[in-house]
Amino acid sequence: MTEGHLHEEIDRHAHTNPLSKSSPFTKLFFVLSALVICVSLPSPIVPLAVLSVSAVLILFMARIPISFFVKMLSYPTAMLGLSCIIIALFFGDGEALAEVPLPWFTWTIFKNGVTTGIATFIRVEGALSCLFFLVLTTPMTNIFVALRRIRIPAVLVEVSLLIYRYIFVFIEITEKMTTAQELRFGNSSWLTKIRSIGLISGNLFIRTMEQGERTLTAMNARGYDGTIRMLEDLPKPSKAALVATVLFDSILLLVSIYSKDLLVV
Amino acid sequence: MDMPFYLENVSHRYSDGTLALEDVTMSMKRGERIALLGPNGSGKTTLLLHLNGILKPTSGKVHFDGKPVEYSSKALLELRRRVGFVFQDPNDQLFAPTVRQDVAFGPLNLGQSAQEVRRVVEEALDTVGMAEYAEKPPHFLSFGQKKRVALAGVLAMQPEVIIMDEPTSNLDPRGTSEILHLLLRLSRERRISLILATHDVDMVPLFADRLYILNKGRVVSEGTPRELFSDTQLIRSVNLRSPRITHLFEVLRKEDGVPVDERLPLTIGEARREVLRLLGILQDDLTGGSEVVSPWRHHPPIKNKRG
Repeated sequence: MTEGHLHEEIDRHAHTNPLSKSSPFTKLFFVLSALVICVSLPSPIVPLAVLSVSAVLILFMARIPISFFVKMLSYPTAMLGLSCIIIALFFGDGEALAEVPLPWFTWTIFKNGVTTGIATFIRVEGALSCLFFLVLTTPMTNIFVALRRIRIPAVLVEVSLLIYRYIFVFIEITEKMTTAQELRFGNSSWLTKIRSIGLISGNLFIRTMEQGERTLTAMNARGYDGTIRMLEDLPKPSKAALVATVLFDSILLLVSIYSKDLLVV
Repeated sequence: MDMPFYLENVSHRYSDGTLALEDVTMSMKRGERIALLGPNGSGKTTLLLHLNGILKPTSGKVHFDGKPVEYSSKALLELRRRVGFVFQDPNDQLFAPTVRQDVAFGPLNLGQSAQEVRRVVEEALDTVGMAEYAEKPPHFLSFGQKKRVALAGVLAMQPEVIIMDEPTSNLDPRGTSEILHLLLRLSRERRISLILATHDVDMVPLFADRLYILNKGRVVSEGTPRELFSDTQLIRSVNLRSPRITHLFEVLRKEDGVPVDERLPLTIGEARREVLRLLGILQDDLTGGSEVVSPWRHHPPIKNKRG
């Protein structure tokens, strides 16, 4: 497979994987329930379980290459890792884990700070992995139709739909502008680079406004009246998958009851 | 009345004060293919935007199907169903996450049933040869493919008139020829009236029954391609040029004294006929319909496409 841009790769996987034709409702039900359980229960086992199940689904059911999954997970993980290290080292109170005497004050690392750091990390990874499952296996159009069907406010869905489409247009424009700047040495030093980025951002902002107007004109020309209507051709939800999700969620709940004190030191 | 469009002294002044159209009068018969030819900034797009009520004339009147255009939202919906508009940049038009959803947008706005919409969407995609891309997001398509999908989005509303702004700009030769043939097919098989804005002068004689030349917001001239392209002075005065092939025959006639017919050929087909005539192989002139017997090759008789 050719190495493309991440956003294009994600979209291609979403459209071509073996699960892309399965019901978005089933997938949304799994992802949303797992997400809620994952971030709302204290047990560290639950997010790990969600992570493993999502990984299995992504790698074996949807047959996404492991390298791609790891690459996708690596970007948020890097940011998350940094934040969690800061939480672990600088937050918390009560029992101290270590005290580092510095010339002007004593830096205390707290036990519950470290716990919070680790717990946050695991939880976010669990939540991310199940969201990635949705994103990597479901064409966006199906997600939009399904969201609308489960009564998510139309305006939210419509805005996301337009954002999804025009992100690709604007990434392309940005790439062209960046190349044009590079050809004229816009990145030759750190200062010019900063200036170049500023110019692109300003330009993009104006371009988005113009694009918005042109798109609206074109939509009006086809009878737009304030509501984007969509064809709702969705595959039927699989009962087996729904039952499996309910079972999985119940197990998560049970596990969380028995393991809620695991990380609390 | 067999006249979908009649524009009566239409002027348009943008809110910034620019007078983009000045006293434009034009008409269009049903089933006609019209080209608006003009340099950049001559007001072609502004004129087109009046035809389906996106712009309202500052003065003058637009008539459609014998009645003055009304600008109530209900009347506009009806007008826009009957008059489809394909924009120059397909990215402006394709906003939906998949090709199918985009083509369905228009028909769904007209309140057709899902079943009916599915049928017209399928048919429209079939017509433009994009059926196999129905589930693809627009950003996976080439420019030419996007352009055809944009056309399908309009076709799905089963319009009587299709307006296209620069249908061949940014297209490669193959894309250009595909769009052109598609438009000719729609015109011949479904009697859809077509209005194109363009500065692609080589394409105009292949396509248009009649053309309007615009410059600085005014209609400078109106007539058949043959009438207008023989007036080289006029064509050059508005920063346009004749078709390449016409120019060649003009040079042959003026510079080299070749006895080229006064009515210069505008298309490759006409040029071929003229060359054969000059070589003494074809007796008739280019408007004739006689069979060609070439001494070099046996080939099927040339049919005169443009009567």
